[in-house]
Amino acid sequence: MTLAETQALLHGALTGTAPAPPGALQACLLDTPGLPAVEGVGLYAGMYLARLTEALREVFPALARQLGEERFAALAGDYLARHPSRHHDVGLVGRQLAGFLRRNPAPERPDLGDLAALEWARHRVFFARPATAAGPEAFATVSPAAFAASRLRLSPALLVLRLRHDVAPAWRALSTGEAGGPVIPAPTVMAVWRSGFEVFHSTLGVEEAHALRLARAGASLGEALEPFASRPDPAAAARAALAGWIGEGWIAA
Amino acid sequence: MRQPARLVVPPRPSPRPALGHGIGLRTVHFARFLAERPKVDWVEVVSENFMAPGGRPIAVLEQVRRDLPVVLHGVSLAIGSVDPLSERYLVELSRLVRRIEPALVSDHLCWGTHRGQYVHDLLPLPYTEEALAHVASRVHAVQERLGRPLLLENPSAYVAYRDSTMTEWEFLAALVRRTGCGLLLDVNNVYVSGHNLGFDPLDYLTGVPAEAVGYLHLAGHSDHGRYLLDTHDHTVPDAVWALHREVVRRAGPVPTLVEWDDAIPPLEEVVAERDRAAALEAETLDSARLAS
Repeated sequence: MTLAETQALLHGALTGTAPAPPGALQACLLDTPGLPAVEGVGLYAGMYLARLTEALREVFPALARQLGEERFAALAGDYLARHPSRHHDVGLVGRQLAGFLRRNPAPERPDLGDLAALEWARHRVFFARPATAAGPEAFATVSPAAFAASRLRLSPALLVLRLRHDVAPAWRALSTGEAGGPVIPAPTVMAVWRSGFEVFHSTLGVEEAHALRLARAGASLGEALEPFASRPDPAAAARAALAGWIGEGWIAA
Repeated sequence: MRQPARLVVPPRPSPRPALGHGIGLRTVHFARFLAERPKVDWVEVVSENFMAPGGRPIAVLEQVRRDLPVVLHGVSLAIGSVDPLSERYLVELSRLVRRIEPALVSDHLCWGTHRGQYVHDLLPLPYTEEALAHVASRVHAVQERLGRPLLLENPSAYVAYRDSTMTEWEFLAALVRRTGCGLLLDVNNVYVSGHNLGFDPLDYLTGVPAEAVGYLHLAGHSDHGRYLLDTHDHTVPDAVWALHREVVRRAGPVPTLVEWDDAIPPLEEVVAERDRAAALEAETLDSARLAS
């Protein structure tokens, strides 16, 4: 067999994507003193699934706790069959798990896709490129005339999530070892960010979420703060939001 | 005017710097390692865990690197896969090498990808002329890219191929001759594979080119009766210590690292295994001096 044929045969067998034809493994591999060839491949197959399931569990601990050992392992098996790892970092194997759960929701827990999205965002933010946060002084030198035309650079370690359920209470409960609580169907926008080496998330109001999206898309500060125009005191609301963003380190210098 | 193709010859420093005895630095020990600075000569880290541009791991590693030599040990290069070498991987590894300036860079003699899919395992190769030519060409490419020798680790194995025309140690010796790469000799893997595949570990030590061994790995394994599993979840077993002493008798002092990747105990227990490796090496070398 060529090297390519050998690797195709074993890859299919150990990932379960292309089970070996009868006798093919025995034709390729020797029985060893302690391990018949098929059993040796079975060891690798077991370790493949166990290793990637563990990698998913590390990134999605709340989801794993909500589902329990057996159901999480079954989910991992189904997911990996459709979405095998395509990156050298095993920690990125779960990048499509939220979407997979949204397309295949558990009838009694339709919020699991959103819970996975929150955990994935927390994982991404933890490893995001660092950036120096801008302090209030960064705006001190900007003239009032230039202020509205200036543009913000948001921290790479800030993500804004749009969810169909409010999963923050479930995440909090599961992270402290408690039960996940009821499903809360409620359109929710959430900021996920890193400060130092700690990751935080918080629910955002509609205007603030819109403003952050505009700022991320490259809108001027004047345009980005436009969503606050409907408030009784738009300028005060915009100032408060901006102060909050600076305080949390969401604006990069 | 067309520039002539430049032949990049990797530098050939000694593949065996005098590093001493180290431990594999794992996430669960970050805080205590930084706070207590245990007495270890160097640390090895899994390269892929530090390739992300931000977060705590790379910040910790940079802090550790200020005081200690670091060895970058990869698990996803897939030097033996038929898939093309991953450009994305090489870019990230090169960036990490520039950032950390490691004492050594190592990975495994294995394959682990197929058509772009990673199995995240270290699968043994058939030891054939075809595989040797394939791996040698890729080792050349990686060494030129990194501008330094690559060290390759012998894998633990649970299968052996009918097509193999040479032993693993013959394959490694030929690879060293063709590419000038170094070897990371995992003593535990020699023992585990020897048990599982039915070869004598001493034949392995005789066949592998000792002068190419840049450093050693020591770890524990699990005994499943008919076979041994390379689990890195125990202290180093006596049989592996015995093999380690044999390596030292034959190769002299070699930088040595204790790995512990599962059921990881408190930091002091890993350091104690490292201390034991240092003491056994000194004792073995003393005995050899007396005997001569």
